[in-house]
Amino acid sequence: MANVKNKEKSPSIIGANLPRNDVYEKVTGTAVYTDDIQFGNKLLYARVKRSPYPHALVKKVDISKAKALPGVKAVITGADFPNKIGLYLKDKTILATDRVRFIGEGVAAVAAISNEIAMKALDLIDVEYEELEPVFDPVYGASKEAPLLHPNMAEYSYPNFIFPKPGTNIANHFKIRKGNLEEAWSKCKYIVERQFKIPHIQHVPIETHVAVAMMDEKGKITLWASSQSPFAQRALIAESLGISPTDLRVIAPFVGGGFGCKAGVTMEALPVALATKCKGWPVKFVLTREEEFYTNFVRQGLTSFLKVGCDEKGRIIALKNTMYWDGGGSTEYGVNVTRAGGYSSSGPYDIENVETDSICVYTNHPIGGAYRGFGMSELHTGLDQAIDELAAKAGIDKVEFLKMNVVKGGDKLDTGMIMHETGVKQTIENAAKAIDWNSPKTPSSPNKLRGRGIASMWKAPAMPPNAGSSAWVELAEDGHITVGLGGQEIGQGTFTVMAQMAAAALGVPYENVRIAGPVDTQYSPYEWQTVASRLTWSMGNAVRNAALDARKQILDVVAQAWHENAEDLDIVNGVVVSYKTENETSLKNIAIYGIPKENDQGWVGGPIIGRGNFMPTYVTGLDPETGQGTRSVVHYTTGTEALDIEIDKETGQITVLKAAASFDVGHAINPVLVQSQIEGGFIQGLSSAMFEEIKLKKGVTTNPSFVDYRIATAPDVNFKIETPYVEVPQDDGPWGARGVGEHPMVPTIAALGNAIYDAIGVRLPGPPYSAEKIYLAMLDAGLVK
Amino acid sequence: MINPHPGLPELEYLKPTSLIEASKFLADHAGEARPFSGGTDCFVRLRDGIWKTGTLVDVKQLEGVKDLTFDAKKGLTIGAAVTMNKVASNADVLKHYPNLAEAARSVASYQLRNRATIIGNICNASPAGDTIGTCMILDGVLNVHGVNGFYTVPLSNFFLGPGKTVLKPGDIVVSISFPIPPKGLVGTYKKLGRNTIGDLSIVGVAVLGYPTAETKSGYRFRIALASVAPTPYESFKAEAVLAESKITAEVISEAGVAAMDSVNPIDDVRGSARYRKFMVRNLTREAVAEVWKKISK
Amino acid sequence: MGFQRITLTVNDLVETVDVPTNMTLLQMLREKLSLTGTKNGCTAGECGACTVLMNGEPVNSCMVLAAECEGANITTVEGLAKGGQLSKVQQAIIKTGGVQCGFCTPGMLISATALLARNANPSESEIREALVGNLCRCTGYVRIVDAVKEAARM
Repeated sequence: MANVKNKEKSPSIIGANLPRNDVYEKVTGTAVYTDDIQFGNKLLYARVKRSPYPHALVKKVDISKAKALPGVKAVITGADFPNKIGLYLKDKTILATDRVRFIGEGVAAVAAISNEIAMKALDLIDVEYEELEPVFDPVYGASKEAPLLHPNMAEYSYPNFIFPKPGTNIANHFKIRKGNLEEAWSKCKYIVERQFKIPHIQHVPIETHVAVAMMDEKGKITLWASSQSPFAQRALIAESLGISPTDLRVIAPFVGGGFGCKAGVTMEALPVALATKCKGWPVKFVLTREEEFYTNFVRQGLTSFLKVGCDEKGRIIALKNTMYWDGGGSTEYGVNVTRAGGYSSSGPYDIENVETDSICVYTNHPIGGAYRGFGMSELHTGLDQAIDELAAKAGIDKVEFLKMNVVKGGDKLDTGMIMHETGVKQTIENAAKAIDWNSPKTPSSPNKLRGRGIASMWKAPAMPPNAGSSAWVELAEDGHITVGLGGQEIGQGTFTVMAQMAAAALGVPYENVRIAGPVDTQYSPYEWQTVASRLTWSMGNAVRNAALDARKQILDVVAQAWHENAEDLDIVNGVVVSYKTENETSLKNIAIYGIPKENDQGWVGGPIIGRGNFMPTYVTGLDPETGQGTRSVVHYTTGTEALDIEIDKETGQITVLKAAASFDVGHAINPVLVQSQIEGGFIQGLSSAMFEEIKLKKGVTTNPSFVDYRIATAPDVNFKIETPYVEVPQDDGPWGARGVGEHPMVPTIAALGNAIYDAIGVRLPGPPYSAEKIYLAMLDAGLVK
Repeated sequence: MINPHPGLPELEYLKPTSLIEASKFLADHAGEARPFSGGTDCFVRLRDGIWKTGTLVDVKQLEGVKDLTFDAKKGLTIGAAVTMNKVASNADVLKHYPNLAEAARSVASYQLRNRATIIGNICNASPAGDTIGTCMILDGVLNVHGVNGFYTVPLSNFFLGPGKTVLKPGDIVVSISFPIPPKGLVGTYKKLGRNTIGDLSIVGVAVLGYPTAETKSGYRFRIALASVAPTPYESFKAEAVLAESKITAEVISEAGVAAMDSVNPIDDVRGSARYRKFMVRNLTREAVAEVWKKISK
Repeated sequence: MGFQRITLTVNDLVETVDVPTNMTLLQMLREKLSLTGTKNGCTAGECGACTVLMNGEPVNSCMVLAAECEGANITTVEGLAKGGQLSKVQQAIIKTGGVQCGFCTPGMLISATALLARNANPSESEIREALVGNLCRCTGYVRIVDAVKEAARM
């Protein structure tokens, strides 16, 4: 009877700080990552011959000498795999065919019995190039004068929400035309115009990309990859190779950090291509750290032109936002980053008149792809600094200015979508309070300048309108449940959150839930990709539905056996109970074998497998000329960050005194995991704000190593980060939850830029806000001598 | 294009048992064999393909290289295989040459300093070498073993250019010796990197000072600069300012300006020449003021 | 290219291994001894994912030749737990939530273990300084630093 009576008191699994279910393996070194899988002595090593030119025609690739080198098992060139590959705009091939478009692009590849032999083979490959004029600036690249990088753009395939302009270098042009901007300017009392330049940065997972592929004698392929997207990789690689998706099995073990760079398809296609030429041999390809920096996805650069105005009272009423994205040699994934930057271009502000041009431009730079934030960091870096200046011009406290202008439920957004309820205003108050916004800003010494900055943000899951999730929940003979899912554990803790959701929905203790990992496309249910902060929400809905389906099956069986109504039954802590008869039985007793009927008259039930899926069905298209439509996105997660800093007048170095990051998470399923995401994301954002830049010189990445691409280290972030989150429930989220994986790094650059402006009165045009830039700005402004 | 090997290229590993054997081998294989101790610079260069070395000659078991000795009359000797962490935590170093411990501790990370050595830092001859300036102004002398036996080279005569030294094939730097420091010596190392600690220096300033009857000011200062010249650089101009006038805040500032004016740094991926010059001035001023505060008490 | 036969102790077990002379300690651990807990993040001594204890002191195992390890005593992440009992640092990092993707974790645990061995009660700055050679991209170091403090209290 214990369970019946304790039902109301049983501790909630949702909202509990339960320990991660992958942590024991991770602290003992037994967690298996892709490079840890043992393949035995037949393992081959792949290396790639890369272009030394940013833009050139490939006239001839001679692999004959490399092929003859003992120990070499396969050599391939672009000509062997001419089909296009790409997530949105299919503009890329596995290796370059007729043209190279960035330094480091692969033109040929080798699989050999050792890395040493593979490297020697690369030296034996002769490539003849004809250099072409390169494009290194997106504004120039979008002009008529620029040489074309993709003359065959008209032949590429793409979904109907991407708008390429064949005959130019513009791979996507997203527009918003809302209200009457010309008229609005005349009503503005204050106007700010600014230009910003955001450099390329790198994701820097500590585990570089690694993939291993093998083709069996029958032609079926297995790919083991450090991957955020096993199902997308299956689909895209299979399509490019002309095989059936289910003939390519993708197994995705633990991922040592993703941040977007292991989404879509990048280097994973290469070992697959090689494997097709040496059946029965597993081919491993590991990117060196140097290759990681410039041969795979980077965060694209952005040049943005902003003009924003407010009326006398400080209401923002006009925004013109023109963004030129430095997309790189391929924009197959990047086009959708620029679309997201476009439809979210007003930020979380209620602005009546908006004109946006978000222009994705091909350049001869590394390929821009998904990066935590998906365009939002770049967008908000400029937008929230321009708004900060507008507040200063209007003479209104910045916190009050933001609160006055942020969106609320029911507002008509820049795309015409009606905003759902959001706690953004509360996040502003939380962040301001956490850093004592209104307390005196006294520097700690005469050699220091002190400043505070605040910035808000929003971000929607950026994806096709109908990206789906699915899950199953199976009851085992010990009464434990196993959850099948296709989303990846990349550190964010999704396996833990999914276990919590399944446990809560079905009615078993958290400890009794197993996750069926690693994700394996042969057995795991479909998931679009582990991106867009969408798993807690989308996969969470699928897992919840699967658990509820299993629960219904169990209750129906027990109701039948007990001659009761299922509505009178419940599952509490792994025990089925009847509130009517106070009958109870452990799930153990009914799993697998069902329940015997009375008097040995047969059985009811059988093995239980619940199934669930989720796909948003309500996102609509937007008008290509105005960007207007009914519903541009599923929903927005909002938040605010604030910083209190000091700047050393002798060196320009920043010391962060206090930091706060507040986000509306809908419902924190596991508060410690939520806070961990926010802390880590904030520091990644701060690292990008202070240190990070791929230093490109004529297409050459001049700092492709940790020696000269610095990221935040433990001593750099010696301050407390407050993370007071807000919970305004999301109507389509499980238990009201929405994603917060990417968001914490979105407003950080702007918040820091605003703090620097507050401290020194100079607006720096773009990050990283290095000590050098700050010192020289102070020097030029006469603040120091 | 930088596309390093995933691992170290093919190489041979030799562990000679005597200095004579080691020097002979290195001389006989000039251009393709190289001595190494911690390998922290060496392995990176080999992997990058900057160095094409056939044989690495491990010096860690040779006579004298593990010594870290202090003698009240002769001073300090640090062997080639003594790691930076050993130097930074050694009681005699901390007592008599604390600025050397400070400089050693500023290099990279703890785990790297368990392999990295002062001698390696010196032989690598990077203008950015964090311990080199301090070793120079402490009047370090290198004890070198070559094919003709031992000889010594003062550190001030050792460097020819970035990565270039006076060492000849067969030469192995066995140790570095420092005289007993002048009475009342105080020193410091100011390093500016992109990160708080652990980075290569954009600018490094090693300063020491002590009272003396030999200068007009009654004090002698030594100032060595990292990352602003082709070799680790001692700014005699800045030192002269502090020797010739009574030391005041203004004179210290003047010394900073003199240090700045004495160098002609370059723009590189870590910092611009313009920023470097100002940082030489500011860090020199800061370091000298800090030393002055202690020695003028 | 030559090979060397070396005998060393790894996690309290004596091992004799034939290694190519260009093989690093990291490669030997992962490829010859199947101790894949130690990770490779940069092959340049910068990220610290490959940190192991060599004769009680942390080193970047990508910066040590296997051939140099004759007679050495190596402890990897797999050797931290004894008899099924997690070490204090391991327990503490679970408690504080300092693990996300887990790729830096083995090196972090080794660096933290070494720090506490030489300084049982480190300050926050000392903890952060001791971890400067261990890059983490997920956690912002917040809960890793908390874990070291927690382990010091245990």
